[in-house]
Amino acid sequence: MGLREDLERYREVGEAKREDLADFIQYGDLGQSLPDEIKVPIKIVDLPEFAYDQRDQGGVGQGDPDVGDPVGEPQPQPGDGDEDGDEPGEEGGEHDYYEMDPEEFAEELDDELGLDLEPKGKEVVEEKEGDFTDMTRTGPDSTLDFERMFKEGLKRKLAMDFDPDFLKEVLKIDGWGPDRAFQWARDNAINVSKPWLEETYDEIPDDERTEWRSIEEVEENVTRRSAAQKIREDGVRNVPFRTEDERYRYPEIVEEREKNVVVVNIRDVSGSMREKKRELVERTFTPLDWYLTGKYDNAEFVYIAHDAEAWEVEREDFFGIRSGGGTKISSAYELTAHVLDERYPWSDWNRYVFAAGDSENSRNDTGENVIPLMEEIPANLHAYVETQPDGKAINATHAEEVDDYFGDSSEVAVSYVNSPEDVTEAIYEILSTEAES
Amino acid sequence: MRERPRTEKAAEPLQEPADEARELAQKLGLAPYDVNYWVVDYDEMNELIAYNGFQQRYPHWRWGMQYDRQQKQGQYTGGKAFEIVINDDPSHAFLQESNAIADQKAVITHVEAHADFFARNRWYRMFADELDAAAMLERHARRIEEYMADPEIDREAVEQWIDSVLCLEDNIDQHEPFKRQYEREEGDEDIEEAELAEKLDEMDLSDEVVQQVFDEEFLDEQEEAADLDEPEMDVLAFLRDHGKAYDAETEKAEEMTEWQKEILEMLRAESYYFAAQKLTKVMNEGWAAYWESMMMGEEAFAGDDEFLQYADHQARVLNSPGLNPYQLGKELWEYVENTENRREVARKLLRVEGVTWRNFHDTVDFERVQDLLAVDHRIDAVDPENLDDLEALVPEKVDGENLDRAKAGEIDVERYPWKLLTYAGLAERHFSLCKRQNRGFLRSISQQDLERYARYVVDDARYATVEEAIADVEYTTGWDKLREVRESHNDVTFLDSFLTQEFVTDNEYFTYEFSRTTGDYRVASTDYEDVKKKLMLQFTNFGKPTIAVYDGNYNNRNELLLGHHYNGVMLDLQQAKRTLERVFDLWGRPVNLKTIVKEVDDRDAEIARRRDREPDPEEVGKLLRYDGEEFTMEDLDWTEVEDVAADEVDYDTKPDDWLA
Repeated sequence: MGLREDLERYREVGEAKREDLADFIQYGDLGQSLPDEIKVPIKIVDLPEFAYDQRDQGGVGQGDPDVGDPVGEPQPQPGDGDEDGDEPGEEGGEHDYYEMDPEEFAEELDDELGLDLEPKGKEVVEEKEGDFTDMTRTGPDSTLDFERMFKEGLKRKLAMDFDPDFLKEVLKIDGWGPDRAFQWARDNAINVSKPWLEETYDEIPDDERTEWRSIEEVEENVTRRSAAQKIREDGVRNVPFRTEDERYRYPEIVEEREKNVVVVNIRDVSGSMREKKRELVERTFTPLDWYLTGKYDNAEFVYIAHDAEAWEVEREDFFGIRSGGGTKISSAYELTAHVLDERYPWSDWNRYVFAAGDSENSRNDTGENVIPLMEEIPANLHAYVETQPDGKAINATHAEEVDDYFGDSSEVAVSYVNSPEDVTEAIYEILSTEAES
Repeated sequence: MRERPRTEKAAEPLQEPADEARELAQKLGLAPYDVNYWVVDYDEMNELIAYNGFQQRYPHWRWGMQYDRQQKQGQYTGGKAFEIVINDDPSHAFLQESNAIADQKAVITHVEAHADFFARNRWYRMFADELDAAAMLERHARRIEEYMADPEIDREAVEQWIDSVLCLEDNIDQHEPFKRQYEREEGDEDIEEAELAEKLDEMDLSDEVVQQVFDEEFLDEQEEAADLDEPEMDVLAFLRDHGKAYDAETEKAEEMTEWQKEILEMLRAESYYFAAQKLTKVMNEGWAAYWESMMMGEEAFAGDDEFLQYADHQARVLNSPGLNPYQLGKELWEYVENTENRREVARKLLRVEGVTWRNFHDTVDFERVQDLLAVDHRIDAVDPENLDDLEALVPEKVDGENLDRAKAGEIDVERYPWKLLTYAGLAERHFSLCKRQNRGFLRSISQQDLERYARYVVDDARYATVEEAIADVEYTTGWDKLREVRESHNDVTFLDSFLTQEFVTDNEYFTYEFSRTTGDYRVASTDYEDVKKKLMLQFTNFGKPTIAVYDGNYNNRNELLLGHHYNGVMLDLQQAKRTLERVFDLWGRPVNLKTIVKEVDDRDAEIARRRDREPDPEEVGKLLRYDGEEFTMEDLDWTEVEDVAADEVDYDTKPDDWLA
């Protein structure tokens, strides 16, 4: 059927109609998505038609309520599309989403921003028990590969077995006898023992011992069955099992290289971080999280909020927190160092440390504490995102200091987000810093 | 039909149930098309559903969307597609492989009733006298595939063209028989030219003037700008005849290419083909549910062991949420049957000496009547051990030939007792007023009905006793009526004719409306007139607003003017705009839509809210215009929209003191 193609076209149409990814990141409603399922609003997939205003239309229901009772959302009405499938139901234009998983998101973002980040750093080697496909000669009974043993036995039998009826006829060739027959069998790779031939010859009555004049005559007149034929016709009897055929299955050792990543999101929640700044941070961090989730096999996230002190929070709280205190960015890096050492050893984990704030910091904290800590904490990438939607405050120098110190380092990125338009640029800046190295 | 050796084989065990169901359906008075049954697996079923039941459709993403939704629905709800049957002669029905045998039997009985409906309802004759839908759709699929594969034609352009046409797929004149392109064109054109010549004559102009002003170019233009005596409902046909394609590159309206015209016409034909089903959804689904329940439940077509499964199946179909066409239809058919049977009994009783419409309830002993009406026990419970008892009922109620065969042991009477009965016998066996749930129905007849029936009672045909009157009751009356109704009605006339207060009350239907004041939907009315109005709104014109072409040369600028026939319910303006964009693609020049909208000013809304009332919206005429780039919307004087405003109907069912 052409339906596969139609389905593909539908996906393409859906994708074409989804909001442009950059627009979505900058202005879209990120809140509908889950960490592992990104929902990009689709402009409208279904075809329009002349229709009644739904509210003005009202409807009919069944039941026994009183006039004036609320009925909840309108019940599906015939013609809205139903079991006959003569028309797909309206799922409400504004509620349609194009769903993508983080992998697709990362790919799309690569395309859109021209990124090419290959997950690198640690490739964690892990030994895992694979399938029971390796073999050893000893092992517990339950892992004995009986099938294999049977096959080996059968092979042996096939190799060794001979057609007794035919050999009996061979013995009846005038003037041959067991010796000559044995010689012939040997020449023809037939596994028959001399004693068997002698015994059989003894049983043949004298007058039959001269039945055939030559081997050619036997071959012409007697059907010779191969071992395989014989097994097929007579069934398998006495398959010889030998110890040497015993094989025990053993799990294969698989070396799995898992790409683990931990992303530490740090956010300044002090009094100076107002609504607009918070939103900009969320717009920058959330796509970064999705992107890295899509790029790595296993992604974990740590959320650290700080004012003058730092504490770890859950994701759902992270972007909403506001506190009153001052600002000391190094507190967050101290906590980061601690968390990473405890839970995410550098030998096993790729690490990303993203911090965001308005660049305000306690006097000298940046130079004396933060920069040394950033150098000390091993990570694929450190980034600082400065948000200053209302213009720069004079004492807000953290970003600049970090930028000046690290310069073009491929391990530290600094970017500035002052309005939603800057978000994609910042994301590009951050992700390309590592990719360039 | 594609070859399906594997599925055909799987269908073999279903051959017997299918044959028996056919025989039973015919005994019950149905006359279905022949049905070919196919057994398909789950995936194939989903594919068929996506294609509206057919195996070949033109390439389009919409089928992909339907498939995707169907699949997701299946995943999330465990939803099961029981049947799909297509309106064709012969009909084709698809059964899902994994259905239990009880489901399959139910589906088969259901399908037989659909096939009867397809074959007998007159709205299905509007499309064609000889139906070969599968072949037509396959032909369309091939043509469109060819166009798409044509290197001269941009595939995307074909897809977009299809999209644009599909936006107007319901804007046809479904109450008129379908006429193909060329049939339609011929007659019309001659008349137009003749009329124009006549008009020019009347103007009595000098030849020079005629030659200079009314040159050929002008005449051509006139010809194109179709003159409409009355609004054209078949918008697609109008666009096909007078529309142009908009060429985005040259920014000009160009004549439609051959493929554009052909595709438009093919899709229009498909619209007409599917229209009958859309026009008779309630009736058709209800009809199938009614006869399915008759055959499966009452005639025990499902074996005892299968019955539970069947009951479960039916519960799932009938208890889907929301207004369910199966349920509404089935209830309404049963109601028609009951009222018709009641009329028959009442009219017989009114002829009894001493019974009048005034004293009916006082003089008639309903218990006694019920006893007299009771189904003859010999056909109520056919006893395989005493077949001789049935002899006396041959030939009227018992089929003599089959009785002999049963005696000879050729018929399994235990399993198929109905085989011994005639149509009349079966009608008595299932006489609706004898069913327990309908016991009070006769008694509940209204004085009005009695008075009406009494008018037709002629004096010389009196019965001396109630016994005599009841003995004369025609048990087939109800079923005869059902078949008559299914011949001629569509959903709108069906609801209009048979939905009564008694029905609405018994089945607990109500209307609801959106309240601006409370911001949600509220129950508005349980009055049958209101329920009927709302239902009619949902089924008239496919439940869509009526849009017609009012002018093909609006303001003498070759612009298109569509009119929305306003019935008190306004358009979804956002969607209307998006649709107009598509209409532009098919007209090639600016398009206009006149409509009426309801406006509530904020102050009124606020005052109403404070008083717990609904604000009274003002109806304002509007002209929405799209010129290919932008929309404008301007107010129209009421005189300009009078012709689209219907004042005789009002679908608003909000009571005055609604929220008080």
